Order: sequence, then structure tokens, then C-alpha cells
Amino acid sequence: MTTDEGIKYDRSLLGVEHPIGTFDVTKKMIVGFARSTGETDTKFIGTPDGTGEVVAPSTICNIFVNGVTRPDINLEFGDLSFFAGQSIECKSEIKPGDTLSATTRLEEVYAKTGRSGKMVFAVWQTTFSNQNDEIVALVNESFVRRNRSK
Amino acid sequence: MSKKNIYFEDVELGDDIGPVTRTVKSDQVFEFVSLREPDPNPSRFTSEEAAKKEGLPNAIVPGAMNIALMSQILTDWSPTVCLKKIDVVFRGMVPHEKSLVFSGIVTDKDESGDSTDLECDIVMENQEGVRLVIGHAEFALPSRP
Repeated sequence: MTTDEGIKYDRSLLGVEHPIGTFDVTKKMIVGFARSTGETDTKFIGTPDGTGEVVAPSTICNIFVNGVTRPDINLEFGDLSFFAGQSIECKSEIKPGDTLSATTRLEEVYAKTGRSGKMVFAVWQTTFSNQNDEIVALVNESFVRRNRSK
Repeated sequence: MSKKNIYFEDVELGDDIGPVTRTVKSDQVFEFVSLREPDPNPSRFTSEEAAKKEGLPNAIVPGAMNIALMSQILTDWSPTVCLKKIDVVFRGMVPHEKSLVFSGIVTDKDESGDSTDLECDIVMENQEGVRLVIGHAEFALPSRP
């Protein structure tokens, strides 16, 4: 069972959308992402002579969410933070020339007690839409805060 | 790993996907980090020294890169795979330059909707069998023509 009862944080942020920017998707970016993650499929990395169409791997939105500054929820718990998990829902293909707009919102905050003691999770959902206002990806990220082991 | 076209009818519950063994090179991580930050500062991802200062034994692979690697267990399985959702939990630090074993197992098949969908559990383990990243994925495969 999880609950946010007793957790001190800024509840006014729950469910409030925050724009985090617009991002132009280029072929160079797609190929760079694909190569760095070890993709070998020519639909992602293009042909050896640099020609040919490419589409983005499904997880490319991570380029944009990585390093985003989110509002501080002023969580009063723990002194150690981790990136606990992530989900990506792929809604539509992302291609070179697309311009993506992203908004993020605090989805939930909850506590769990595990073997290492109490942990508090903050889950953010980021929505990416393309230039046609079509949602292309939903990214959920879960960050955990706990107390350092003594 | 097979690169042939796999169809919905070819797959049974409990079928294995992989395993595939891969190593993430330090220069791959640097290239990944550089996509957002063209001249990245030394960090736990790009520098052994910075990682050690944070109490880590070595530089680690960013979580954002790990989910991309996990998705490839499916997209490398067959060109017919259409990934719909991937959900992962980071359980351990993923090191550079070490063998990592990726595998999956099919847990559900559903042809009641508009598409022929499947689900699978996926995992990334180190050479000692320690689970570093675990997760679940939903994907579609076309029906055999």
C-alpha cells in the first residue's frame, strides 16, 4: 500500500502542467542517438553513404527529458536521490523535421518502506506533442528520495 | 540474434527473447551525453574520477541510455516489432565496458483489439547474474500475411 499521507511537499504542484520547451528533431540528432545506443538498423542510423530516410528510435525523447529542470517540490524527506525508473509510451513516429513541444507535471508522490527503510517517490509525466498537436510520446519518470545509510 | 520477420502467430507465451550480450563503451556514453550537452562537464557518467568522488566504484551508464538499450532487446529481435510501451526499474548501477546480458520472456498475447499485441518481461543482468534493470514492454507484431 502506498500513500502520500504525512509526506511534506508542495502539493500545489500536483497535476499542474509546466512547459519545458520545444525541440527541433534533426536527422543528425536521430543518427547520433541511435549510434550512441548501439543501434545498427539502417532505419535509425541511415545508410553508410549518409543518404536515406531515418525515423527516431522509440526512446529518443530521453534526449530532451534528460537534464530538464523541474519545479522544486520542496520535499522534506531524505538526503539521497536516485532515478528509480522510467516508462515511455510511444504514440506516434518521430521524424527529422518534427518540432516537439513538451510539458511536464507532477503526477504523484508516495511513500514505500523497503529493506533499506522508508523511501519517497515523486513521479513526473512529460507529454511530447509534434507540430500537428499530435501526442507522440508520454514519458513517466520516477525519482526516489531516502535517507543515507548510517 | 534473429533478424528475420517474426509474426504474431510465431510467438507463444513463455517464448524467450534473447539473451543478447553487449558492452557499453565509454565513448558511446560520452556521445550520448553530448547529444544534450555538446561539451559535457565530467560527471558520474563520463568520468571515473567524478564517479569515485560520488562514492561509485566506476563511471556508470545513464538511466536514460539504459532504457534505450532495453528497448533494443525487442527492436533487434525482429524488424516487424512495433514497440508501444516500455517500463523499467533501475535496480543497480550499470557500468561501462562490462558485459551485460539482455533477455526477455513473452508474458501475454492479445488479438482482441485493433492490433495483435504482446507483452514481455525484460531484464539486463551483469555477468554475475545480478539484475541491474528490470522491466516490462508492450509491443505489436503483424499477423502472418
